[in-house]
Amino acid sequence: MLSRCSSGFGALAFSALGGGQAFPGTTRTDGDNTLHGPHHKVRAKNVIFLYMDGGPSQIDTFDPKPLLDKYNGKDPAKLFEVEPTQFNNNGTVLASPWRFKQHGESGLPVSSLFPHVATCADDLAVIRSLTSEFPEHTFANYFLHTGSGLQGRPSMGAWANYGLGSECQNLPGFVVLNGGLVPPGGLDCFGSGFLPASYQGSIFKPSGSGVANIRPNEASIKEQLEKLELVRQLDGFASEQFGEHDSIESAIRNHELAYSMQMAVPDLMSVSEEPAHIKNMYGMNEAYEPTRIYGTQCLIARRLIERGVRFVELTCPKVGGDRWDQHSNLKSGHENNARAVDQPIAGLLKDLKQRDMLKDTLVVWAGEFGRTPFAQGKNGRDHNQFGFTVWLAGGGVKAGTVYGATDEWGYKAIENRIEMHDLHATMLHLMGVDHERSTFRFSGRDMRLTDVHGHVIHDVIS
Amino acid sequence: MAFARFSDIANADDAPEFSREKLEFFEKQVRPLLVERCFSCHSRDAKRLEAGLYVDSRSGLIAGGDSGKAIFPGNPSESLFMEAVRYESYEMPPKGQLPDNEIAIFDRWIKMGAPWPKDSMDVAAPKRKFDLQARSEEHWVWKPVEAPSPPPVVDRSWPRNDLDRFVLARLNEQGLEPSADSDRLALIRRLYFDLTGLPPSAEVVSSFNSDSGQDATDRVVDELLDSPRFGERWARHWLDLVRYAESRGHEFDDDIPNAYQYRDYLIRAFNADLPYDQLIREHIAGDLLEHPRMHPRKQYNESVLGTGFWFLGESVHSPVDIRKDESDRFDNMIDVMSKTFLGVTVACARCHDHKFDAISTADYYSLTGFLHSSDYRQVRFESIEHNRDIARRLKELDDAFGKKLIAGLSKAGLKPPKPSQAPASCQSIVDYGRLGQDEFLQDGFVYGSGPLLPGGLYWDGAELEVATRGVARNDSFWDGIKSISEGKVQNNSKLSKLPKSGRTLRTPTFELTNGNVACLVNGEGHVVACVDSHRHVAGPLHGETIQAVQPGERWVRMNLDRYIGHRLHLEFIPASNKRLEVSVVVQGATNAQLTAILKQLDDDAKPFEKYAEAVGELLSDESQSKSELVGNAQDIIDRWRRERHALQHEVKVTSRLAPAMLDGSGEDAHIYIRGNAGKHGEVIPRRFLSAVKGDRPMRIKSGSGRLQLAEQIADPKNPLTYRVVVNRVWHYLMGRGIVPTTDDFGVLGQAPTHPLLLDHLTDRFIRDGCSIKKLIRYIVLSRTYRMSSIADAEALSIDPNNLSWHHRPPKRLEGEAIRDALLSLSGRLDETPFGPSAPIHLTPFMEGRGRPKTNGSPDGEGRRSIYVSVRRNFLSPFMLAFDTPVPFSTMGRRNVSNVPAQALILMNDPFVYGQARDWGKRAIEIADDRDDRVSWLYLSGLARLPTGREKAVAKVFVGESDEVDRWAAFAHGLINTKEFIFLK
Repeated sequence: MLSRCSSGFGALAFSALGGGQAFPGTTRTDGDNTLHGPHHKVRAKNVIFLYMDGGPSQIDTFDPKPLLDKYNGKDPAKLFEVEPTQFNNNGTVLASPWRFKQHGESGLPVSSLFPHVATCADDLAVIRSLTSEFPEHTFANYFLHTGSGLQGRPSMGAWANYGLGSECQNLPGFVVLNGGLVPPGGLDCFGSGFLPASYQGSIFKPSGSGVANIRPNEASIKEQLEKLELVRQLDGFASEQFGEHDSIESAIRNHELAYSMQMAVPDLMSVSEEPAHIKNMYGMNEAYEPTRIYGTQCLIARRLIERGVRFVELTCPKVGGDRWDQHSNLKSGHENNARAVDQPIAGLLKDLKQRDMLKDTLVVWAGEFGRTPFAQGKNGRDHNQFGFTVWLAGGGVKAGTVYGATDEWGYKAIENRIEMHDLHATMLHLMGVDHERSTFRFSGRDMRLTDVHGHVIHDVIS
Repeated sequence: MAFARFSDIANADDAPEFSREKLEFFEKQVRPLLVERCFSCHSRDAKRLEAGLYVDSRSGLIAGGDSGKAIFPGNPSESLFMEAVRYESYEMPPKGQLPDNEIAIFDRWIKMGAPWPKDSMDVAAPKRKFDLQARSEEHWVWKPVEAPSPPPVVDRSWPRNDLDRFVLARLNEQGLEPSADSDRLALIRRLYFDLTGLPPSAEVVSSFNSDSGQDATDRVVDELLDSPRFGERWARHWLDLVRYAESRGHEFDDDIPNAYQYRDYLIRAFNADLPYDQLIREHIAGDLLEHPRMHPRKQYNESVLGTGFWFLGESVHSPVDIRKDESDRFDNMIDVMSKTFLGVTVACARCHDHKFDAISTADYYSLTGFLHSSDYRQVRFESIEHNRDIARRLKELDDAFGKKLIAGLSKAGLKPPKPSQAPASCQSIVDYGRLGQDEFLQDGFVYGSGPLLPGGLYWDGAELEVATRGVARNDSFWDGIKSISEGKVQNNSKLSKLPKSGRTLRTPTFELTNGNVACLVNGEGHVVACVDSHRHVAGPLHGETIQAVQPGERWVRMNLDRYIGHRLHLEFIPASNKRLEVSVVVQGATNAQLTAILKQLDDDAKPFEKYAEAVGELLSDESQSKSELVGNAQDIIDRWRRERHALQHEVKVTSRLAPAMLDGSGEDAHIYIRGNAGKHGEVIPRRFLSAVKGDRPMRIKSGSGRLQLAEQIADPKNPLTYRVVVNRVWHYLMGRGIVPTTDDFGVLGQAPTHPLLLDHLTDRFIRDGCSIKKLIRYIVLSRTYRMSSIADAEALSIDPNNLSWHHRPPKRLEGEAIRDALLSLSGRLDETPFGPSAPIHLTPFMEGRGRPKTNGSPDGEGRRSIYVSVRRNFLSPFMLAFDTPVPFSTMGRRNVSNVPAQALILMNDPFVYGQARDWGKRAIEIADDRDDRVSWLYLSGLARLPTGREKAVAKVFVGESDEVDRWAAFAHGLINTKEFIFLK
């Protein structure tokens, strides 16, 4: 059985250096996990999850509420029932400092915070009625990522790979491109929980070597190859010691995979080779550094899914002030955060489209909750889990639509209200996975991303 | 069962006849709405029935769901159904509120008596009843442990002990043979890693190789069991069960102060071979043992440290819904406790009766009562027992002298007046002048043995005083006590800054009915309202639960409006070396009432003030100073003062702290309907699992009753406890449990592969005094343990999954063992045991809020992995890659995954590279001859000599080189071979 590994590092290295393939060092194979997915037609082979850390305000972005202008400065408690808030420092009704305009053929309203994304309006399915169970960041982050407010559950990227397997043999199936802000709750937002470690999100940085332990310590690649050849020879004797065991053989193959990953990552990361007009699209030449960082993330995200990586999540870059968490200074805070991501996101959508990749890539833009229509203090907004906006684009998504609605204040979802579990069910559905059938037994239960909940939102599916 | 609603269905209503008009209204207006709006979740056709509620029959609506009756025919305003569609409590349908006209239709329909055609009235789907008894009779694990006799076997020479006969008999049944014995060197590597988590040195391997007698194996096993490294290995297994971490996760990853004390406790417990039943007692109720176990040399309370495990979970610093947060914390505690000790998933019964096991929702909430009755504290474990004895002697001394003096004063005609009989203030939550002894609760001894009562004597520094009011007052006798926390990284909790440990008075728990709480105090310090056991006060919310008490202030007011309807208690913490007196706590009193209460107490105090004055005059009256009486009295006072002073010198002033439990007042918990902390069902008295002990409430005299709970868990007749632990030990030694799902012995877990063997081991374990070491010794000296990993081809074809255990599959080492082995080989290993953890090394990929300010060294200071800090939001990437669990719940069986990150670590991690280099360097130092160096590397790294072919490969690789680089490269190569990370 060990003969399967006989090609060894040398051969891999040879093919890696040999060129000729579309992506050197990368091979695509079909996923072979049939038990947990796919269960039906795959609409989105890959997901790019644009995580808007901190909770962008729905009423300042994609959910216009003219009534707020009329009642600006009034006491909200006299107008509607106000729920307990995280900071318990509620001010008056606060009109949006930004203007909304309708865009595209669909006439989708987008605020002036997102001039570039607005040009993609016809590609978006905007959901204005998402709710969460938690007004605290960490709970809400875990909930958004894992379907549970507590630490230790598998992240959605882990579930996607559990259900579908990876299509990429030399990169992990779940990559988190960290722009600088790891969300509250920490790296466990991207963990594999009780699923095996192979489903863990791997943290990549959009600069430098990209991945931990990807750079050899040896002085030259030749020196490392020589060492790995030694390992291969010695491992060749393993069956004398152990007999034949899958566990040993898989570990041997794992070393080869690691090596090919080591060879594949530098190629993945070399975005400088991209043409100038592409880099410009992504905002990589903008004056504002966070825009350049996020642009690079978006571009690497495209390169990752080109290589078959199943689930890519982007965290936000640091913009000096806070993440999208404007408890004060709403104006400058939201403007900086929007400035960082707006052009890169539009660039990503357009680039995917021009490459005909958007049709089978699901792009999701979401924060962990929204913000209150009344002020916190004078010029901030507190957390609001009762109704907020996310959007989907790409594979299988009914583009140019709005689904659900909040009340006239933009405070609580009242029409087609959906839960986080519904978003997860829908994402999995688009990936060809039935969220009720993709389960893993742990702690005496058949666990799933959607716990015991979740309904697919068919109205946002084309 | 709590809600026996389906039994009500038959006679839910007398099935009235309705007029044709009414029925027509129903059919035309109501039924279509029900079908359209409700059926997808609340009918027999629902894909998944929600909340146990059927609305496709009238009786289903009347019987209701989890939250009780849904409609009261004729009375819409009483009907939960209407509340829900109006979005007043529940919000149904969840996707958005119905238009007003539809709500009006439902209202009208219920008002007219909820007409429904008779023939289709009572067809609610029959629901399988939750029958706890039937379930406990059906599933093996609830049956008593038996003592099966070892079965006969064909080859009587094979078994080395009784357990082998169970294994061999099972193999014989299938016509299988066990694999050959593994070679001796494979055995010694197994034994070293399995028992101590470290590799045997080259010298050990060589000498073991040359001594082939069975005695040598016995001797090695005994040595390893006696090694201090044993506890470090086995405590790490246990830490997986109790989701051990040193920080609280969530947003800022604050410290769990002194968590490492629990880790050290465990290591000592395993090294001392603490009987397992005692380990249980100490975990569940170590704070309540009448005779706590003392550290043999340092004489501190070990037992109380066990309770630290309850508090190793996550915690949240500013929860908006504080009660839900408590219910989540408690859920984790129950989950961890029940899986760890009982191997059943009690937490599955939080929202509904267990779907598969004999565990009811009532069982779950009976257990949460124990937690409602218990508190968190940082215990002064080094001083607590010593000072408990001092406190006892102090009370004796005070009682004796006090009695003498009062008697003397009486003789002189000074009798204390009678206390006022006036009733306590009606709003009073606690009145320390009228308190039952079992309600006088404190952490430590500084508040004495009870409240001061008017007319009683007490010391204020060097002065003797007469109490004029009933108050709890901290005694200056204890001033100067110091508590030590070590290993601090960060803690934003405002409570952690108060000098609480051993200095906290605690009221009984009460329910808040009015947010205006006032405490009558005197002195300096803090009052803390501990609401829903929330103590992590560090964010924008809940700051109002902490209030400073300034000198001269009498009524300290707290505004707790946010918490009306919640359960809480108050804690009073004197400022360091200051006094704090507490007399009365009231809620909902107006200013006028507070003034009146104060006046009444002042009036009550007046006769005692006069008495005190008289006593003072008498004792200081110069003219009488020579009288015998006064002389005697002063003599008593002087001796009293001196003896107090002498005793004070014996107080153990300084103590380290550790997380631990403190008993509170006894509280039973409500069922939270569907797990929703905002919806209360009936109160369930505290008791153990009804499948084991029946559902009669426990008889608890006072306090939490945890000690009784501990005894029921540790009861040798409990069918779960000992099977579970024996199976864990088997799992850690063999790589797979007899019950493979080590934390779930329920219906969804896997059945035992060798049920008789499990009972044999369990029975023997109990008879052996619950000694873990004896059990390990018994298993590792068996022939079964020694089976080779080379499987017989025929056996493999008949039993490919090795269920009957015909060979021992290779076992991958854990991340900790791999890292510890590297340190050991490089010579970097620092074997210093115990103490605050070495800080975690933070790579550039480990970012986020709460990142420790200090970065640990890449090699963790050479400490064993168990001594490297575990910070929830900054877990070691090395350990995560090799499947060290994320600490969120019990993990008795780690994943064994195979990910590129593992290989990348072994190939490219600078730490591994550096250790490899030092190992290679050592080889050069140890031997001049190149063959000898290769042999030494094989002996130390793989516990065997290289084969001829391996020698040849090595020779080609190192050639004639004596350079460190080359030998380091060879050593690094060996580390990357699979044999390095697998036990054969």
